Amino acid sequence: MTQDDFDRLQGLLASRAGFRLGRDRIHLAEHRLAPVARREGFDSVDAMLQTLWVKPVASLGWAVIEAMLNPETWFRRDRAVFDTFAGELLPAISRVRPGGRVQVWSAGCSTGQEAYSLAMGALSAGVTADIVATDLSQRAIDKARSGLFSAFEIQRGLSARTMLDWFEPAEDAWSAVPRLKDAVRFARHNLLDAPTDGARFDVILCRNVLADVDPAQRGQIVDHLERRLMDDGVLILGAEERIEGDTMAFRAVGGRKGLYVKAPSALSRAA
Amino acid sequence: MGGEAARRFLPLGDVSLVEVRTCLIVDDSRIIRKVARRIVEGLGFEVDEAADGVEALTHCGGLMPDVILLDWNMPVMDGMGFLKRLREQPGGDRPKVLFCTIETAPERIAEALGAGADDYVMKPFDGEILQSKLSEVGAV
Ligand SMILES: C[S@@+](CC[C@H](N)C(=O)[O-])C[C@H]1O[C@@H](n2cnc3c(N)ncnc32)[C@H](O)[C@@H]1O
Repeated sequence: MTQDDFDRLQGLLASRAGFRLGRDRIHLAEHRLAPVARREGFDSVDAMLQTLWVKPVASLGWAVIEAMLNPETWFRRDRAVFDTFAGELLPAISRVRPGGRVQVWSAGCSTGQEAYSLAMGALSAGVTADIVATDLSQRAIDKARSGLFSAFEIQRGLSARTMLDWFEPAEDAWSAVPRLKDAVRFARHNLLDAPTDGARFDVILCRNVLADVDPAQRGQIVDHLERRLMDDGVLILGAEERIEGDTMAFRAVGGRKGLYVKAPSALSRAA
Repeated sequence: MGGEAARRFLPLGDVSLVEVRTCLIVDDSRIIRKVARRIVEGLGFEVDEAADGVEALTHCGGLMPDVILLDWNMPVMDGMGFLKRLREQPGGDRPKVLFCTIETAPERIAEALGAGADDYVMKPFDGEILQSKLSEVGAV
């Protein structure tokens, strides 16, 4: 891959996904794109990129973008937040919602571990939650929807007891039981796209996504999240992530890592 | 050696003066013990090894470790036999015991948990799995 190819790749990721590809990532790019080139029937990564630059077919462009995103995730990542979610947020919100239904969105869900962790919490707490989980990567969404996890994936973050309660062996993988699978609805979605409908959520998780986003585009994504969040809703970021520099619309919840609520100035703007 | 490297190679740093967490690895395979030792030491534990349940019991009679990684099938005394006797010993309820075996059948996993294991790890495992398991049982 030439430096020029890499620069264009950086530009593609930034404009379409808001993703900041570090300048030192050229070898990673070659490594990640090799299987894509093979899958798409090209002789080499270089050949694939030349075709893409000349004839930017959307499906090929997205396949390239997807391969470069960072999919790392695991079950109950930053454990404390899942206990807060199931033990405090869900019961409190459920009490003040019609029929006790709580609307939850896992934004940037990767292969689904976060969303299934939320669902296990809600089902165990006996709270009715509609959980939607989205990601830009179609491959990640397909895997998430399958509910299948390797022995490595299933053990990362889940105790054996929890694993036995919610998953059953399937060939050499573990499969989410139907009750768990049915509790999450997966869909492809780009966080750069503005909301086009009125769907609102009580709890939005957008964890370990903004960390890789181009600073110039973080504000836009946070704004979209804000418009999707109920006035009394909660935004949950990764435990070490902060958005004070990107927005005035949220303020951090004291003593609760990664939790944000709307700042008074942002309330009912849309109402 | 830069600060980052120093932290990695001297994982205990200055906390070692305050508290050393100990881990006993019980497995009849020397290779598995070696792999597990590397991972657990990386998490800041001081490690001892035993090749079967009897050796492990002798060790625990002298010094109760904080964490025990326990194989199931071993000569002399297997993991189940060890676990039952350990839990009957004074202070034997304190160590967090993680079964680490190649058994993946749900019935076997349930059997191990029923016998008093705190968690269960299917082999092969890596550092990320072990770290998350240990933090789930509150050992790190
Ligand atoms: C590091 S993973 C985090 C997964 C999970 N939230 C967690 O914390 O474990 C980041 C995910 O964000 C997704 N992502 C990155 N840019 C995105 C965008 N513009 N729209 C939607 N998803 C995006 C990536 O595909 C990836 O799956």
